[in-house]
Amino acid sequence: MTDYAELHCLSDFSFQRGASSARELFERATDCGYTALAITDECSLAGIVRAWEASRDTKMPLIVGTEIQFADGPRLVLLAESKQGYVSLCQLITRGRRGSEKGEYRLTRADIADGAPGTLVLWIPEREPNHEHGAWVKHTFGNRSWLAVELHRDCDDAARFTELEALGEALQLPRVASGDVHMHMRRCLPLQHTMTAIRHHMTIAEAGSVLFRNGERHLRRRSVLEKIYPKALLEESVRIAKRCTFNLKKDLQYQYPKELVPEGYTPMQWLRHLVAEGSAWRWPQGVPALHQATIEHELQLIERKKYAAFFLTVHDIVRYARSQHILCQGRGSAANSIVCFTLGVTDADPEKVTLLAERFISVERDEPPDIDVDFEHERREDVIQYVYRKYGRERAAIAATVISYRSKSAVRDVAKALGLPEDQIDKLGRCFFRLGDASLPDRLREQGFDPDVPVMRRLLALTKQLLGKPRHLSQHVGGFVIHDAPLHELVPVENATMPDRTIIQWDKDDLDTMGLLKVDCLALGMLTCLRKCFDLVKTYRDKALSIATIEPNDKATYAMIQRAETIGVFQIESRAQMAMLPRLKPASYYDLVIQIAIVRPGPIQGDMVHPYLRRRSGEEPVAYPSKELEPVLERTKGVPLFQEQVMKLAMVAAGYTAGDADELRRAMGAWKRYGDMEKHHEKLVTGMLARGYTQEFAEQIFNQIKGFGSYGFPESHAASFANIAYASSWLKCHEPAMFACALLNAQPMGFYGPSQIVQDAQRHGIGVRPMDVRYSDWDCTLEPDARSKKGFALRLGLRQLRGCSEKVAQRISAARKLGPFRDVVDLCTRAELDSRHQDLLADAGALRGLAGHRHRALWLTSGVESQLPLFGRTSPNEQDIVLPLPTIVENMTADYAHSGLSLGPHPLKLLRSRLRADRYLDSRSLQKLPHATQVRTVGLVTQRQQPQTASGVTFITIEDEFGHVNVVVWNHIAQTQRRPYLEARLLAIEGRWEAVDGVSHLIARRLRDLSSMLADLDARSRDFH
Amino acid sequence: MLWVCITLPHLALDGVLRRRSDDVPLVLVDGPANARCVVAANASAQDAGLYVGQRLTAAQALLAQFEAMPYDAAEADRWQRFLAGVAYRYSSQVALLPQAIVLEISRSRSLLGEWQTIERSLRSDLSALGFRHDIAAAPTPHAAQVLASIKDGQAVLTREVMQRALEAVPLVKSHLPEHAVDALSRMGIRRLGQLLCMPRDGLQRRFGAELLQTIDRLLGDAPAGLELYVPPDAVDWRIELSHEVENIAALVFPIKRMTSDLAAYLSGRDGGVQRFALQLEHRGGKATEVPVGMLLPERDANVLFEATRGRLEQVQLPAPVLSLRLMANDLPGFVPAGRDLFDERPANALPFEQLRERLRARLGDRAVYRWGATIDPRPEHSQCTTILDDNFIEPRTRPTWLLPKPIPLRGMLRILAGPERIETGWWDGDAVRRDYYIVETEQGQRAWVYCAPDEQCGWMLHGWFA
Repeated sequence: MTDYAELHCLSDFSFQRGASSARELFERATDCGYTALAITDECSLAGIVRAWEASRDTKMPLIVGTEIQFADGPRLVLLAESKQGYVSLCQLITRGRRGSEKGEYRLTRADIADGAPGTLVLWIPEREPNHEHGAWVKHTFGNRSWLAVELHRDCDDAARFTELEALGEALQLPRVASGDVHMHMRRCLPLQHTMTAIRHHMTIAEAGSVLFRNGERHLRRRSVLEKIYPKALLEESVRIAKRCTFNLKKDLQYQYPKELVPEGYTPMQWLRHLVAEGSAWRWPQGVPALHQATIEHELQLIERKKYAAFFLTVHDIVRYARSQHILCQGRGSAANSIVCFTLGVTDADPEKVTLLAERFISVERDEPPDIDVDFEHERREDVIQYVYRKYGRERAAIAATVISYRSKSAVRDVAKALGLPEDQIDKLGRCFFRLGDASLPDRLREQGFDPDVPVMRRLLALTKQLLGKPRHLSQHVGGFVIHDAPLHELVPVENATMPDRTIIQWDKDDLDTMGLLKVDCLALGMLTCLRKCFDLVKTYRDKALSIATIEPNDKATYAMIQRAETIGVFQIESRAQMAMLPRLKPASYYDLVIQIAIVRPGPIQGDMVHPYLRRRSGEEPVAYPSKELEPVLERTKGVPLFQEQVMKLAMVAAGYTAGDADELRRAMGAWKRYGDMEKHHEKLVTGMLARGYTQEFAEQIFNQIKGFGSYGFPESHAASFANIAYASSWLKCHEPAMFACALLNAQPMGFYGPSQIVQDAQRHGIGVRPMDVRYSDWDCTLEPDARSKKGFALRLGLRQLRGCSEKVAQRISAARKLGPFRDVVDLCTRAELDSRHQDLLADAGALRGLAGHRHRALWLTSGVESQLPLFGRTSPNEQDIVLPLPTIVENMTADYAHSGLSLGPHPLKLLRSRLRADRYLDSRSLQKLPHATQVRTVGLVTQRQQPQTASGVTFITIEDEFGHVNVVVWNHIAQTQRRPYLEARLLAIEGRWEAVDGVSHLIARRLRDLSSMLADLDARSRDFH
Repeated sequence: MLWVCITLPHLALDGVLRRRSDDVPLVLVDGPANARCVVAANASAQDAGLYVGQRLTAAQALLAQFEAMPYDAAEADRWQRFLAGVAYRYSSQVALLPQAIVLEISRSRSLLGEWQTIERSLRSDLSALGFRHDIAAAPTPHAAQVLASIKDGQAVLTREVMQRALEAVPLVKSHLPEHAVDALSRMGIRRLGQLLCMPRDGLQRRFGAELLQTIDRLLGDAPAGLELYVPPDAVDWRIELSHEVENIAALVFPIKRMTSDLAAYLSGRDGGVQRFALQLEHRGGKATEVPVGMLLPERDANVLFEATRGRLEQVQLPAPVLSLRLMANDLPGFVPAGRDLFDERPANALPFEQLRERLRARLGDRAVYRWGATIDPRPEHSQCTTILDDNFIEPRTRPTWLLPKPIPLRGMLRILAGPERIETGWWDGDAVRRDYYIVETEQGQRAWVYCAPDEQCGWMLHGWFA
């Protein structure tokens, strides 16, 4: 049979055009015995690294190429013959993409006037070939150009061939066979049709004129091709393929930026120099001998792996942040090294670090160093702009994230393409959380669909195929790639949605494969809060605190954590975390590391939580599955909790090599490679059985690995998070007012809103004072108050006032500095308030000191004349009028409307006597009850889940004047008592009180809507005035 | 002066319900597609817990089966004008307010009896037409409107009583400018009485002259400033049926509604009708016209209905009926425009459209149609009787005569061109997978044939080239 190389083939990275992944294409090409396969995605190299991986695994040579439709002319396929050709491709793609909207490109013949040196060019003629195009191709590319003959049984192949032969002769262009491949097998045609319809925003039935009429655009067997093409044309493809010697991995060299190293130093020498400087800063009395040895060990490792420049890059960014007083902290395996401590990348206590560092860096595990740096969320943009400034937009860009089809987006797009009506598309979207879920047919029936009718069967089959296919490129959250030369010589650069952001076409897995290092600059709200809190401590206590210098192992702090009083604290504040705290009772730094990692789907799905807790409390002896695993699992009492342990475990117990384990880590981390996990299932279980472990243990480990798939949590990250969690806990414990103040000033962030933060502060004895133009700034502030805990009360800032602009708040503060406001007119004049802000401040009660109650304040502000600023805004002397006093409920309603929180009495407090008469308990009394008591209680609904699944539970959170109660509602209760469940604002619940290990919730049996009591309250309290 | 106000709180919903006889839960919805809200709900929908202002998604979570129709403001307007026509019978001073109709009856009182009589009569008219309503009377139209929404049936005949009644009215129901009501409520002013005590200059500065003017109108201190309703000279009403109706009998109920509406309207303007047309509208913009003519002008509901039914019995329905339209231009009071005796028309030249319509009228609608190509790649689906859209259709060699159904073709064939492989159409269960060829038969005819892919035997004939 004649040899053949496919030179024109799109993968699924030609979004909504190519239906098959590179892997499918390469496997099929191998199967058909091709000589080589080119991947020529349209103006993109986003899929080329995956193609390279597939090529590596199948040993089918890869030719790097791209297909481009010129705006003023022909469609070409350009193939990289050499490295120079590859650079030409990157430059051309970058030019086309940078000059256009995100996701689009525009290139004209002028853009390729240099002839794209180093490339080979196929001209893809149209149905009616344009001679002029061909002549231009011949003229521009000379003997590097061919006429592609693509025969797809479209009309009359023989006639088409004759026509193209004549054309080629006339233009003196040699002919070559190519396939315009859009899928690996003919059976993908329905998927390809569906994608086409999605791309054109049409239904498939409407898309008739743009759909391929047959499935010939797949990788056809050579025996079939021989019948269609003359031998010479097939042979020509192989000749071209042989000329393309460029190898993506071998021929590309990534270079760290050089400017960070001064003249006369090597990067390693310079790193040593900086580490020595940093050591002197960290240990003014001299480096402890133990640390000195570790530092040396780490430096040698860095030298051997040639990572010096990477550490220098991270150091430079962190140094900039510090110079701007931007709080930052590194995390990840390499971040917990002492080298990073001396470089200031982390503030982790070296005593603690020595415990961990050895485990985090090892020579054997061949993975790139992982350092993510978190910055204050409000100021990360400064850091990003610094990086762009320092290296230039040519050399620095953010990595891409490939957004893939999830079940919900897939089913929506497929349903649209199949022409289902909009309301059904919405309903369908709600049925799909996860595909492959056995209850899917039931859920579909529940929503009124019959999963067995043909259209639903088609929908399900296509959705399954579309699932996981790349959809578009997006911007990585903060991963920078910095190159010594312009990046577009390495990889194409395109525009992101955000203005002034550019991304490269590769994602983080691609970077790993290609050995490119990225530095993650992430945003973390808690760092903003900590920095603001440190500033407050400095101002009011004259004490300089930092994450590194906060007193470690503080008893009072841990006692507070164990009581689960952690609202606002980093990481350990969520409902699930709070439920775990009284059980795990963290008492040391490492306990916090575990606490952070244990409340995750991984350990929970792997059923690791309860064994760990039992062993910790001594109910169950600590045991190890085998002697070899003891060192791996020792620090977690024989139960694997961290991602690193799982990897190590796979190596020790299942005989994985370091490379296998790394692949496993990637499989765990990336949902899109979910399918790969089954492969590991067999390998892992067999490996473990062969080494004498039980089937049960093996399955458990595998389940945990799968759990990590969605939210892996590595010890190296938990270790850094634990630092921040401890620092924030310490501040909450010892400076509660300052912590609450900083927390409010760093909003929005974290799990709780301002209302819950303020209520929590009040419950802990902090005085909270309302917004008032006489005292409030934009930010919340502190005011000395002997009655408040630790001597300070919290004054709410105008940032809590919805719709108030920061500029206005600052004008008020500035005007106040010049002298107190005499009255409303004075305020409005000097602070130049517009009528909207006048109204807002009055209605929010912020004018209480100048105008009395809200009603009066509104009357006064609305009378301030705003038309004549030149003459001041004095209102004519008006007769004073009497307006009714606002009621408590009116005040509360206005408070919630304007700031989402109220300092007045809780409505439940006003209703309490009536509720008590009806034998409803409050949340404080509930907490004192024994387990399994039948109770009734009432609260305002603060969180409510939509009932969705056919089985299982949903949660409601209710709030009264003393705190929150978590209510568990079984599905049949939610279904049968739908109206109160869905509608009640004030909800009464009868049920069973459960309290185990300090964790409590209420299992609902009966729900009642008492919302009318709120309305009564309003009416009743008004009648008093 | 005594003004009666009829408020129509369920105008749009009643307009929909009156043409249905079933009682399934039904709501009207409005708003942007992603935030549709219930704007009206019938009784059985309310019983199930649906309410006005509810998000449609929340309603769907609550009740599995109910009908949701889009709220049609234009239709509600039409109904309001129709009812104004009915009210015209009681007074020549009729005006429209939002969701309400006001009429001045002091001059009609002597004619029509006391207020109670008028009220009863109005109520029975409205109920017969299927519109829920509240009625009140007061010396000013705006006060009547306010009082109607407070208490149905209230009538205050003097300004003093009216003033007292208004003072108790909550501000939110006062129909004063919304921004002022809003701001005043936030200042603790909840009732009209409180507002009336406030200094006028202070109010004017804050809320402008509009507020004071509205108050003055309400109290009768300023002219009401209403634009009076003028009844239209022609009738053109349309109702959409809730489902497709295939036999005439099922049309009787809605037609009876329409003819009695016509009767109500005619008596409102004190006239009659001699000729009108009923159109039964089908899918695709087609309609069957039923002209109804009477010897003399009539306005009795039964006569109109019987006359219509008589015509209707002769009608054969060509297709299901989706909606009904009633048109009457020929209303007494107007002299019908006379035909020109010497009608000049070009003798033989008939425009194509007219010819087409004439042919259709003679031969039937289905006998004349237009032939077009579609974008569907399957030959069976590639032609249709009307043009679907103007998508780009790739020119391809296709036979002039496409057989409605392919048939086997035997005999020696000479392949002229092909194959053209067509494998598509999987999406509607009518998938094809064929190789098409252009061939020459032994008789020298050029044919379009197909066979299974790569087979070149078992030919099926699909068309002939000219």
